[in-house]
Amino acid sequence: MKYSSQAVAKPYFIAALGLFVAQILFGLIMGLQYVIGDFLFPHIPFNVARMVHTNALIVWLLMGFMGSAYYLVPEEAETELHSPKLALALFWIFLVAAALTVIGYLAVPYATLAKITGNDLLPTMGREFLEQPTITKIGIVIVALGFLYNLSMTFLKGKKTAITTVLLLGLWGLAIFFLFSFYNPHNLVRDKFYWWWVVHLWVEGVWELILGAILAFVLIKVTGVDREVIEKWLYVIITLALVTGLVGTGHHYFWIGAPEFWQWWGSVFSALEPVPFFAMTLFAFNMVNRRRREHPNRAATLWALGTGVMAFLGAGVWGFMHTLAPVNYYTHGTQITAAHGHMAFYGAYVMVVITMISYAMPLMRGRAANSNKAQVVEMWSFWLMTVSMVFITLFLTAAGILQVWLQRMGDAPMGFMLAQDQISLFYWMREVAGVVFLIGLITYLVSFFVRGEDKAA
Amino acid sequence: MARAFQIKVSFNMQHINELPAVEPHLRGDLAIWIFILAELLAFGVFFVVYAFTRARHVELFNAAQLGLDRNAGALNTVLLITGSWCVAHAVAAARQDRQAIAVRWMAGGLCGGLAFLVVKIAEYQAKFAAGLSMDSDTFHMFYFSLTFFHFMHVVLGVGILIILLFKLRAGAYGSHDAHGLETGAAYWHMVDLAWIVLFPLVYVMH
Amino acid sequence: MRQATLTLNRIWLIMLFATLTTWGLGEGGAGGRLAMLTMLAMAFIKGVLVIDDFMELRHAPLLWRVLLIGWLGLVTALIVLSYWIGS
Repeated sequence: MKYSSQAVAKPYFIAALGLFVAQILFGLIMGLQYVIGDFLFPHIPFNVARMVHTNALIVWLLMGFMGSAYYLVPEEAETELHSPKLALALFWIFLVAAALTVIGYLAVPYATLAKITGNDLLPTMGREFLEQPTITKIGIVIVALGFLYNLSMTFLKGKKTAITTVLLLGLWGLAIFFLFSFYNPHNLVRDKFYWWWVVHLWVEGVWELILGAILAFVLIKVTGVDREVIEKWLYVIITLALVTGLVGTGHHYFWIGAPEFWQWWGSVFSALEPVPFFAMTLFAFNMVNRRRREHPNRAATLWALGTGVMAFLGAGVWGFMHTLAPVNYYTHGTQITAAHGHMAFYGAYVMVVITMISYAMPLMRGRAANSNKAQVVEMWSFWLMTVSMVFITLFLTAAGILQVWLQRMGDAPMGFMLAQDQISLFYWMREVAGVVFLIGLITYLVSFFVRGEDKAA
Repeated sequence: MARAFQIKVSFNMQHINELPAVEPHLRGDLAIWIFILAELLAFGVFFVVYAFTRARHVELFNAAQLGLDRNAGALNTVLLITGSWCVAHAVAAARQDRQAIAVRWMAGGLCGGLAFLVVKIAEYQAKFAAGLSMDSDTFHMFYFSLTFFHFMHVVLGVGILIILLFKLRAGAYGSHDAHGLETGAAYWHMVDLAWIVLFPLVYVMH
Repeated sequence: MRQATLTLNRIWLIMLFATLTTWGLGEGGAGGRLAMLTMLAMAFIKGVLVIDDFMELRHAPLLWRVLLIGWLGLVTALIVLSYWIGS
C-alpha cells in the first residue's frame, strides 16, 4: 500500500461483504418462498424480502465501488487522499442510513414507513429498486457528493491517468443518474421511461466505466503490462459500451407505451451491447497472456479473468438472448429476465468488486498476496460461487422457457399461478444451487482468516 | 568500380519515394480502427434490418421512397465523396511537409462536411413541413432513423476535421508524424463509406 | 508522390461517375433486378476505393482489408438477398 490514506477502503470492503451475506440470506428466503408461499409470512413477506435483497445488493456494490475508488485513486494520482476523515465519516453515515432503511423495511409496513419518513412531502417511494424513503435517497446524494468531492480533489491534486479519468466519469455519472430517482412523473409511461434512466444507464452505462477502470487497474498491477496498452483498450471498451448502451436503453421501451420506433432502435443497439463485454474478456485474457511478471496474487488474477467471462456470458449472451423485440414480446418479465439479471450482476459487478478486494485487501494487511493455503481456499470460493451461479441461471432459464411456453404461447395459454406450479421443480433446484452459492460466499470469507506463509511484495 | 555502382544505385533511388512502404502498415491509431469496426457493425446491422423489413412491406417502401429528395441525396453523396478526396489529399500533402497545401485541402474537406449538414437540415425541414416524422410509417421511421444516425456521425466527423485543421495550421503534422492526422482522416472516410451504402439503399433502389 | 495524388484524383472521378450512374438510374425510374444490382455494384466499387485508397488499407495488414471489404461485401450481399426474398 503506497499511501496510508488508501486504508480507508478497508471498512468499505468489510461492510460490503457483510451486506453481501445479508443479500444472499434474503435471496435464499425468497427462493424458498417461491415454492413454500407462506414461508416466514407475515413476519417477512416476499415483497419485503425482495426489497432487502435488491437494496442490499446495490448498497454493497456501491460500498465496493467506493472502497475501490479510495484505494486506487491515490495510487494512480500518486498523492494522498484529499480527506481520509471525510471518507470515514461518510462511511458511517452511509452504513447507518442503509441499516436504518433495512430496519424500516423489516419492522413496519411499507405504507407506514412512507408516512413516518415524510414521503408525502416529496414522493419518491414505491418503485422497484428505488424503494428507499426519500430521506434515505437524500442521504445517498449527500454521501455521493462528499465522496465525489473527496476523490475529485485528489484527482485534481495529482497525476491524471486514463484509469482515474474513466473511473471518475463513471462515478459522477452514477451520481447524476441517481438524481432521476427523484423524478416521479404522474403519467405511468413517463414514470417508467425515466425509471430506466437510473437503472439502465447505471448498469448498462456508467457502471461499465467503473467496471472497466477497476479491471484495468488490477490488470496493470498483476500483469505488469505497459500502461499505455491497457489504457488504450480501456478507452475502446468504454466507447463501445457508451455507443451501444445509451441508445440501447430503448430495449426497455418496447412495451411501456413509448413510440413504436423504440422497438427498432432498442433492438438494433442493444443487440450490440455484448460487444464491449466481449472486448473486455479479450482484453483480460490478452493482458494476462502477455504479462511481464508472475504476481503472487493468483487468486486476484483468477477473479479478474472470471469477471470478463461471466460478465460477457451473463450480461452479453444472456442479455442478447432476450433483447430483440420479437423475442422480448414473449419473454418480458419472466424467469428469463431473472436468469439474465442474476448472472449479469454477479459476472460484471459482484465479481469486479471481489477482484478489487482480492487484490487490495492483502496489501492493506501488509503483504503482496495471501499464503498459498489461503489462496487455494479463495479459489475454491471462486469456483463454488461461479459454478453455482451458472446453475442458478440455467435453472431459471429452463423455468423461464417453460413459463413462456405455458403462459404466453400455444392455443390454450395457462394463467400465471398455474404456470408457476408447473415450474416449481426448477425453483427447488435453483434453491439448492443458491445454498451452494452461500457456501461459496462463506468459503470466501473464511479465506481471509486462513494462515500460512504470506507472500512478500 | 564501386563508384560506378554507386551512381547507378543513386539513379534508381529517385523512385523510392513513390513506392509504397515495404511493411504493411495500418494508417492511424489502432483505437480508431476498433471504433470504426464497431460503427460499421452498427450501420451494417441497421442497413440489413432496413433491407429485410422492406422485403416485408415492398409496396409501402416503394411508394414512400418516391417522396424522398433524391437530388439532395445525390448532392450529399458528391459532397461527402469530394470531402473525403480533399481529406486524403490533405494527408498526402502533410506527409510531404507541404503545410499550406495540406491546410487548404483540409479546409475543403471541412466545407464538404458542413455543406452536407446544411443540405440534410433543409431536407429534414421540408419533410417536417409536409407533416412527416419518425412516427408516420415504418419507411419513414427508417428514413429518419438511418439518416439521423448518420447525420450525428457527420457532426462528429466535422468536429474532428476542425481539430485537424487547427492542428495542421499549428504545424503539428508532417513527414515526421502524421499519426493523429491519419487517425482523424480514417474516421471521416468511414462516415463517407456508410453514406455510400445508405444513399442507393434508401433513396434509389426499389 | 505525384503518382499517389494522380491516383486520388482518378479515384474521385470514378466515384463521381458511379454516383452519377446511380442518380441517373433513379431519375429514369429504373426498378427491377438489373438496376438494383447495378447500383449495389456501383456502391461496392466506391466502397472498395474508399477502403483501399482513401483509408489506405491497400497497404495495411491483410486482416484489416478483409474485415472492411468483407463488411461491405456481406452487407451488399444481404441487401441483394432481401430483394430476392421481397420480390
